Amino acid sequence: MNARFLLRRLMTALARTPTIGIGIASLLLVASLALAYHNEDQARVEKIREVEAQARVLAASLTGPLAFDDQTATFEYIEAMKASPEFDAVGVYGLDGRLVAGFARSGEPLPRTNTVARSTVRGNEIVVAAEVEQGGTRLGSVYVGAATESWARRAGRYLGIAIVLVMACLLVAVLGAFYASVSAANRRLEAEIAGREEAEEALRQAQKMEAMGQLTGGVAHDFNNLLMVASSGLELLERTTDPIRRDRLKDGIRQAIERGARLTQQLLTFARRSPLSPEVLDVGKRIRSLQDLLERSLREDIRVQFDLAADLWPIEVDPSQLDVAILNIAINARDAMPDGGMIRIGAHNQPAAGDQRHDMVRISIRDTGSGIAPELMEKVFEPFFTTKSVGTGTGLGLSQVYGFLRSSGGEVRIESRVGEGTTVFLLFPRSSQPLPRTAARDLSFNRAKHHAAVLVAEDDEHVAELVCEMLRELGYNAKRGASAAEALRILEESGPYGVVLSDMIMPGKMNGLDLAHEIVRREPDLPVVLMTGYSEAAASAAAEGFPLLVKPYTMETLGEVVGQALRRAPPQPVP
Amino acid sequence: MAHVIRSIALLTLLAAVPGGSRAEPPIEYAVKASYLYKFAPFVQWPAAAFAGPSAPLIICIAGQDPFGHMLDDAVRGQRVNGHPFEVRHVDSVRPSMPCHILYAGGGAAEALQAVASAPVLTVTDGGQGGGIIQFVTVQGHVRFAINQAAAAGNGIEISSKLLGLAVKVTR
Repeated sequence: MNARFLLRRLMTALARTPTIGIGIASLLLVASLALAYHNEDQARVEKIREVEAQARVLAASLTGPLAFDDQTATFEYIEAMKASPEFDAVGVYGLDGRLVAGFARSGEPLPRTNTVARSTVRGNEIVVAAEVEQGGTRLGSVYVGAATESWARRAGRYLGIAIVLVMACLLVAVLGAFYASVSAANRRLEAEIAGREEAEEALRQAQKMEAMGQLTGGVAHDFNNLLMVASSGLELLERTTDPIRRDRLKDGIRQAIERGARLTQQLLTFARRSPLSPEVLDVGKRIRSLQDLLERSLREDIRVQFDLAADLWPIEVDPSQLDVAILNIAINARDAMPDGGMIRIGAHNQPAAGDQRHDMVRISIRDTGSGIAPELMEKVFEPFFTTKSVGTGTGLGLSQVYGFLRSSGGEVRIESRVGEGTTVFLLFPRSSQPLPRTAARDLSFNRAKHHAAVLVAEDDEHVAELVCEMLRELGYNAKRGASAAEALRILEESGPYGVVLSDMIMPGKMNGLDLAHEIVRREPDLPVVLMTGYSEAAASAAAEGFPLLVKPYTMETLGEVVGQALRRAPPQPVP
Repeated sequence: MAHVIRSIALLTLLAAVPGGSRAEPPIEYAVKASYLYKFAPFVQWPAAAFAGPSAPLIICIAGQDPFGHMLDDAVRGQRVNGHPFEVRHVDSVRPSMPCHILYAGGGAAEALQAVASAPVLTVTDGGQGGGIIQFVTVQGHVRFAINQAAAAGNGIEISSKLLGLAVKVTR
């Protein structure tokens, strides 16, 4: 426990209640009163000592005059004492105790004989006696009475200090009270902010899910189409032996599956609950990646066209929020075009000019719909404002767009003409940060080169069989373990392996990530590739730095990732 | 006060005794007797002058004794630096005699000679000169003159407080 910690605790305690501040102030007051009393006592003792010293000086001076009856000298000394207003009475007594000379300024006269034994305080007077002696022979005594300072004078002396002290105490008390109230208010504010942040987080997620919900119908519809293509293609495949026809059917099935995979991947990424985290990104690329989702989910009678400039400046925004914003605007555009139409999404650089002080990147989303009536223009960004019927829209779409643009330092504008269509402009400030480097795709994949052994840890029988088959097709020796434990056992018994490919979610005590860690611990040079269909798991694998295969994946992707992992590892002997 | 009155009465009686050279006012001798021992605290003798820390301080009266028992009364019970007083009446003075204060009365000039350069404070009455301290009468009051040179010659020191009260100091 150090002093700083104690001080902090004291301040916290002070903040809790104003009584402590007042308590400290009172304590100060009491302490200073005690100090004043002590000082006063000290002063009194000092004053007595001072008078005693003066009496002794007088006694020492009077030895000769008193011994030899020199009245003149005695009177001279007494006159000298009389000159000081401090002394009320001074008496000189002979050896026999009778009064020789002296004066009494006021009040009672000098005692006829000196009976004072020791210094005393009588009311406002200090009375002191001293022996007159020389060489050990007593020659007489002196009596000195000196006035102490009156109460009124002393009070006057202390008054100034007392006023300052009381003011200081008041100040401490007031500051304590003020600090306590401010810190209470601050605590309330902090709690409120935390609550609001939570609510905003929930609202963002709700807005995302709202957009998702709007799209789900379209996506489901599209999925049915894809499944239709796949199932009918397979059926036809069984009935025909014409190789050209079979190839065409297989191509169709593959394309349908690839589209489906891309769509689910986008939906998963989109729905992931993630904190707001801006990153520097290429808007053109990001919008293009939305193409599948937009085209397949809006409606068949709506065409989506892109007009993206090639050399767009980078911007720094939260990517998922950008997706949601564009989807929200696209959904509004779709609903404004019940009879079909076209959505044109453009992105261009807009250099600083005139009122606009910064370089901006402008995204425009133009539809050929019904347009927005001028009287409604002001309201469209308000939360829960909607023109849609109950059950179709929540009115949160454009409010998300507005909130997102504001938090990104950008702005949003709407141009609309009733009957002609609406254009929404999103303006984002250009980022001074460079785009993060993306690893160049390694296209030097060549199946003939690889004959390494691959250990596949996968609990799903069908997936495992297919993956092993694909690996063999790519020229690898593949062996499967049904769990992490089994994979470790195989690794020990029948190694060496060039690479381990593991599913992330597996039954048993160890999951894929645990297995990967265990393998790295045992054989740091053995590369591990993880595979999963869950976006959350994918994120954690990426965070740990393991190469990742997102299910479903093609043989080409598999070959590429395994090949890269092998090349990164030192050469392994072929079994 | 009482003993002064008694002394005065006694002195008056003594003065009436025939054979006294001249009748001294008795009050004068009462005062002188009191002064005689009061000189002691203002005088510093060499340490060797006393046999011990409580050895008596001896006042010798040589020649004519004008004090009678007034001096004995005055010193009774008094001490100076721990030394009690002792009064001796001597006929003749020898240097070996342990006197600290010597009052040489009338006709004791040889006594003064005897203690010259010995650590003795010699006291005489004004008219009879020669003592370190000589009583004089100024405006009816008993005062004294001090021969500091003689004191130094005898190896005794006299306090400046006493010197300050003397009517005359011979250096």
